[in-house]
Amino acid sequence: MSLLRALVLRPMVREKIRTTLTVLGIAVGVAVVVAIALSNQSALRAFRESVDAVAGRANYQIASDVGIDENLLIALQPLWSRGLRFAPVIDIDGMVEASQTPIRILGVDLLSDIHFRDYRYASILSGTSAGGAPAPSPARYLDLFRTDSIIVPATFAAEHRLRLGSPLALSVLGHQTTMIVRGILEPRGPATAFNGSIGIVDIAAAQRQFGMLGQLTRVDLIVPGEEVRSAIARLLPPNARLERPSRRNERVEKMLRAFRVNLFALAGVALLVGMFLVYNTVLISILRRRKDVGVLMTLGASPGQIFAAFLAEGLLFGAAGSVIGIFLGDALAFLILRLIGRTINALYVTSEPQAIVLTPTIALVGAAVGTLLSLIAAIQPSVEAAHVRPSILIRTGLQQRVGRARRSVLAISAVLCFAAAAAVCRLPPVDGISIAGYLAVLLVVAGFSLLSPLIVTVVSSALRKPMRAAWGMVGQLASASIPASLRRTSIACAALALATGMMVAVALMVGSFRETVRVWVDQTVSSDLWLRPAKGLSNADIALFPASIVDDLRRVPFIAAVDPIRGRDVTYGDSIIAVGSGDFDVVGRYGNLPMVTPRSSQPALQDALRRKGVFVSESFALKFHKRVGDSVELPTTRGVERFPITGVYRDYSNDRGVVVMDRGLFIRAFQDDKINTVVLYLKKGVAPEEARKKLEAAFGPKYHAFAVLNREIRAEVMKIFDQTFVITYALLAVAVIVAVLGIVNTLAALILERSRELALLRIAA
Amino acid sequence: MRVRLEHVTHIYPATDESPPVQVLTDVSLEIRSGDFVVVMGASGSGKSTLLNLIGAVDRPTSGRLFLGDQETSSLPESALTMLRRQSIGFIFQFFNLIPTLNVFENVAFPLSLNGRGRGEIDGRVREVLDRVGLPHRATHFPGELAGGEMQRVAIGRAIIHRPSLILADEPTGNLDSRNGEMVLDLIRSLHDESAATVVMATHSDRAASRGDYIIHIADGQVTR
Repeated sequence: MSLLRALVLRPMVREKIRTTLTVLGIAVGVAVVVAIALSNQSALRAFRESVDAVAGRANYQIASDVGIDENLLIALQPLWSRGLRFAPVIDIDGMVEASQTPIRILGVDLLSDIHFRDYRYASILSGTSAGGAPAPSPARYLDLFRTDSIIVPATFAAEHRLRLGSPLALSVLGHQTTMIVRGILEPRGPATAFNGSIGIVDIAAAQRQFGMLGQLTRVDLIVPGEEVRSAIARLLPPNARLERPSRRNERVEKMLRAFRVNLFALAGVALLVGMFLVYNTVLISILRRRKDVGVLMTLGASPGQIFAAFLAEGLLFGAAGSVIGIFLGDALAFLILRLIGRTINALYVTSEPQAIVLTPTIALVGAAVGTLLSLIAAIQPSVEAAHVRPSILIRTGLQQRVGRARRSVLAISAVLCFAAAAAVCRLPPVDGISIAGYLAVLLVVAGFSLLSPLIVTVVSSALRKPMRAAWGMVGQLASASIPASLRRTSIACAALALATGMMVAVALMVGSFRETVRVWVDQTVSSDLWLRPAKGLSNADIALFPASIVDDLRRVPFIAAVDPIRGRDVTYGDSIIAVGSGDFDVVGRYGNLPMVTPRSSQPALQDALRRKGVFVSESFALKFHKRVGDSVELPTTRGVERFPITGVYRDYSNDRGVVVMDRGLFIRAFQDDKINTVVLYLKKGVAPEEARKKLEAAFGPKYHAFAVLNREIRAEVMKIFDQTFVITYALLAVAVIVAVLGIVNTLAALILERSRELALLRIAA
Repeated sequence: MRVRLEHVTHIYPATDESPPVQVLTDVSLEIRSGDFVVVMGASGSGKSTLLNLIGAVDRPTSGRLFLGDQETSSLPESALTMLRRQSIGFIFQFFNLIPTLNVFENVAFPLSLNGRGRGEIDGRVREVLDRVGLPHRATHFPGELAGGEMQRVAIGRAIIHRPSLILADEPTGNLDSRNGEMVLDLIRSLHDESAATVVMATHSDRAASRGDYIIHIADGQVTR
């Protein structure tokens, strides 16, 4: 204990600046990791919990991307006597017209659904309903089954100032409908899903109101055993699948995995820099106290005790930094959640992030990461301190030069690291994650870190003359002092080099990618105007136009061509891909699709029209190893259909993979003629601004349409791009801050140590 | 404790900046248990190296070194550590107190290394501080002491665990004559009160006069 007090505890208290800087460095690294874990958890927990809440007690679902014929229920009926319980469900996205915000519509059989989900109308039945409505009579309860009735959670009602009897204007699957709030739910079960932005309607009403007569989205099941499960499997139509409700969560998590791994890798840079900081701090501790260490060893302290004392220093720094980092991360998570929440919504799934909750697991991970990495960083200098003979330590002079022999060993090790990095980076990704890439980066970092003593020495001697010329004796002393304290200066330099190097590398990569995307957007977005059914909602399914808008638009005299765009998510093997559609004829004549193969889009589009073929995005082709001439099998309303691939095009809008087909083929395949966006080409000489005004005047009231100019679309794409990478820059900036802390720490130590020399210089005027 | 050296040679290995340096050459000598021996020689003659070898801080490059009946030159590092911890007390020219520990803790350090209980440590430290005349300085840190006081603390630390061998390397080299005298008196009287062997390196004739006899060393060799 006295050893720990002598070498670690008292110095930590006495050297407040050094201790604060080191603890802060680790805290910032840990905070970033914790914040990312928390915000990831929050972003996805909302989605996961919503799926669970909506699934209720179902242990299986019959799901389909193209809808399910309700006659399947008749086929399932005989299994009821064998213990099977089933509930038909319509589960679709919609939009609240007034607020332009998303709402999930759950259409269920209100009578039989109690087997599956908990609905608490207690607020009505108890006579203390939200909004102060009177207690319902039995007749009022039957009102829930009317085709214009909707039941909303109390939180939703409060947020949208609704009470029993209030009208609620919705846009669902291209249908503009006004429903009446006839029930208010307590916040439990499905009423908690999607942050309470959910509306429950009777399934018959949903089918009628939203154009889904005879159709279901899925069937929820309580399957008593394997035998019944097999029996159900035999009854399934070809485009449907029997799966656990959690399967959707797994697919979404898989889709987001690469995004999350990248975030953690970036946070890792800050941690790595933090490790350098701990290494440097422990090293400085040892160098500054080497004489004390020598004395203590002379008096009988064993190498093991010395090793343990300095290791404890690393551990203490790590533990203190981790504790602060966890709380800092909790606070920081809110900001990160805003950043990644936008990206997840723009590129992956609609999910309203939930409140940040610091769970014991994340706190433990943060503490473990900070403490263990600090411990690892402290090992090497501690071993070194323990193995030097006390007589060498007691002697005056710091003896910390890196010897020539050692420098060459470091240089050879660096070359080996670079060679290993070159070899490793050729390895393929594992399950879509570029583990070899991360490893290669680590090896390059290790290589440059090993080279840093050599680099610092060479640069210092190269600068000696210019510095002397510029600042005289002071310049010469400065350039000479850096190699004189090579161990600590080279570590501090390596840490700063790592952080700034990563910053520069990412800036170059993102800059280059941004330019590629800009060129791609300029080429792809060649239309004059886009007509969208909602303002500011980028997710595809939330607001839709009915097919009739196309005919209305074609009658507008200043429009040359109309390209209606529709897309939907489709399960493809174990992944979720996007299937899009447009008018291939219009695209061929007016558009400018950037192609991978073949070079020109025209013949490929014609070929697709002729052979009922599809285009796939470059990311789809790479991910699923497809090329022109192959075919892609998709679940359609007519079963699983095979579509020949006639073109591969460049698409940076998502990394999941896109299959695009002509609108006619899409409508036949998915029985879906709705429209997400209409791309408009104006006749020559028509000013887009003028056209926009006229279109909004004519189509605004009828279709709730908003017109967007070409340049606005381009700006929006680039905005989403920049938002996606804001987090990247923010994380790297944190790493730079940690590295600068390391430099300050090193300089503070050098100044303290050389106070006598500095005093002499001052005496010498 | 009896000390015996047989043909001991010591060479400091080469570094980037300097070639190998031979500091002791074929030194043979014997110090009887309980003697107060003074090692005299000019600066750089090898006095400190000789004390380091005797104190099991360093190992001879060649030759044999015995402390009591034990040949230390062949002992493993852990055994040398235990030997220093239990049987040897060190007094240095620059005091070498631990700046982060107060006077009490500095003096107590060898006892806590030896795993003694708190009660025993308290009693022994108070007794030793009384003996070196610093009971009022127990809670002070080394930075708050004068040179002579620091050396008296160092002497307290060297004797607290009742070693059988005390090594003093230029104990007055960094003190004024009054404090130097006081320290030499203290070392002499402590030697007279115990059965410990004392080996003191110095280049001062005045300090050398306190020993039972003198070993002269020059250029790494015992001359007289």
